[in-house]
Amino acid sequence: MRQAVVQVVMGMCGAVGFSILFNVRGKKLVAAGLGAALSWSVYLVLYHIYNDKIAALLGAALTVAVLAEILARVMKAPVIILLVPMLFPLIPGSDLYHMTINLVLNNTAESAEYLNLVMREAGVIAFAVILVTCAVQVIMKVYRHFTVKR
Amino acid sequence: MIENSAQLLSAILDVGEIMLKAGAEVNRVENTIQHMGEAYGYSKIDVLTITSSIVVTMHEPDGNIETQTRRITAYETDMRKVERCNALSRAVCKEVLPLSALEAEISDIRQEKRYPDWLVFLTYGFSSAVFSAFFGGSVRDMAAAFLGGLLIRCVQLVGRRLKVQNLILIIICAASAEFVTLIFVYIGLGASADRIMMGNIMLLIPGLALTTSLRDMISGDLISGLLGLCEAVIRAVAIAFGVALVLWQTGGVL
Repeated sequence: MRQAVVQVVMGMCGAVGFSILFNVRGKKLVAAGLGAALSWSVYLVLYHIYNDKIAALLGAALTVAVLAEILARVMKAPVIILLVPMLFPLIPGSDLYHMTINLVLNNTAESAEYLNLVMREAGVIAFAVILVTCAVQVIMKVYRHFTVKR
Repeated sequence: MIENSAQLLSAILDVGEIMLKAGAEVNRVENTIQHMGEAYGYSKIDVLTITSSIVVTMHEPDGNIETQTRRITAYETDMRKVERCNALSRAVCKEVLPLSALEAEISDIRQEKRYPDWLVFLTYGFSSAVFSAFFGGSVRDMAAAFLGGLLIRCVQLVGRRLKVQNLILIIICAASAEFVTLIFVYIGLGASADRIMMGNIMLLIPGLALTTSLRDMISGDLISGLLGLCEAVIRAVAIAFGVALVLWQTGGVL
C-alpha cells in the first residue's frame, strides 16, 4: 500500500517534471500532474483486480484519454498537451530497460520476452488513445448534426 | 484573386513548420494548414505532411495554383508553441488576419519563452530522481539518480555546443550515466544500480516517440509512423549500446 502511494505521488511529480521540459505552462501543469496520478491509480486498482498488465494499461489509458479530451475542451488547449504528460507513468520505461539489459547480458530469451511485452504495452496505450479520439469525433458529429437541425 | 499568394502560403507553411518542429501530430499539422487555407479563400487545398517534410498545393478560385514545400530537420518539443499555433489558426478561421499581422504573430510565436535554464537543469535531476523512486528506488537511490540526471543534462548541453551527432550524443549520455551510476553504487551513495539507471534512462528513452509513431500508424499516416518507429528503435539501440559499452568494460560492478 505504501509502495502504491509512493508510486502515485512520484508518477505525478514525474509528469509535472516532464511537462516543464516540454514547456507546458500554468494551469495545465496542475491538470497534467493530477491526470498522471489518476492514470497510475487506475492502473494499480485494475492490476489488483485482473492481475494483468495489459488490461490494467488499457483501462488506465482509456480513463486519461477521456479525461484529457474533456479537459482540453474546457481549457481550450490541444489534447496532446494534456494527454502526453498524463500517459507518462504508463510508458513502459522499465520493461524497455530490462529488455536492453538482458540483451547486453546475452539473455536472449528474456530479452525477447521483454520486447514482446513492450510492444504489447505500447500498442495497447496507442489503441486506447485512438479509440477515444475516434469516439469523440463521432460524438461531436452526432451532436452538431442535432444542434444544427434545431 | 488572392493578393501575395506566395507569401501567404509561405506564412501558412511557417505555422505548420513550427507545429511539426514543436512535436504536434502529423494529423493536426495537416488539418491546421487545411483550415487556414480555407479561411483565406483557397478553393482546393492538398497537403502532405510527413515527419521531415510538408508539401502544400493551393488552388485559387480563379485558377492560379501555388505549390511550396518545407524540409524539417531539427525538432524540439515545445507544447506552448503547439498551443499558440492552434489558437492562431482558430483566430484566423473566425476572422481573417491581414498578411502582415499574420507574419507578426508568427514571429512572436517563434520567440516564445521557455522555462529558465536553471529550472530545466534542475528538472532533469528531479524527473530522474522521481522516476527512480517510481520504479522502487530508495531515498539514496533518488539522490544518485538526481546527480545522474544533472550529468545527462550537462553532457547534452556540451554535446550540442560541439554539434555532436544526435545518435552519438545519446550513446555518450547513456554511457556516462551508467558509468557514474556504477561509481555511486561503489562509493555507497545508491544501493540498486538498476533503479538509479531506470530513472536516468527515462530522460533518454523514446517512450513518447514510440507511442506517437504507433498512433500515427493506426490513424493511417503510415510513412510518418514508420519514420517515428524507426527513430525510436534506433534511439533505444543507441541507449542500449551506451549502457553496454560500460557494462562490457566493467562487468557490471566496479
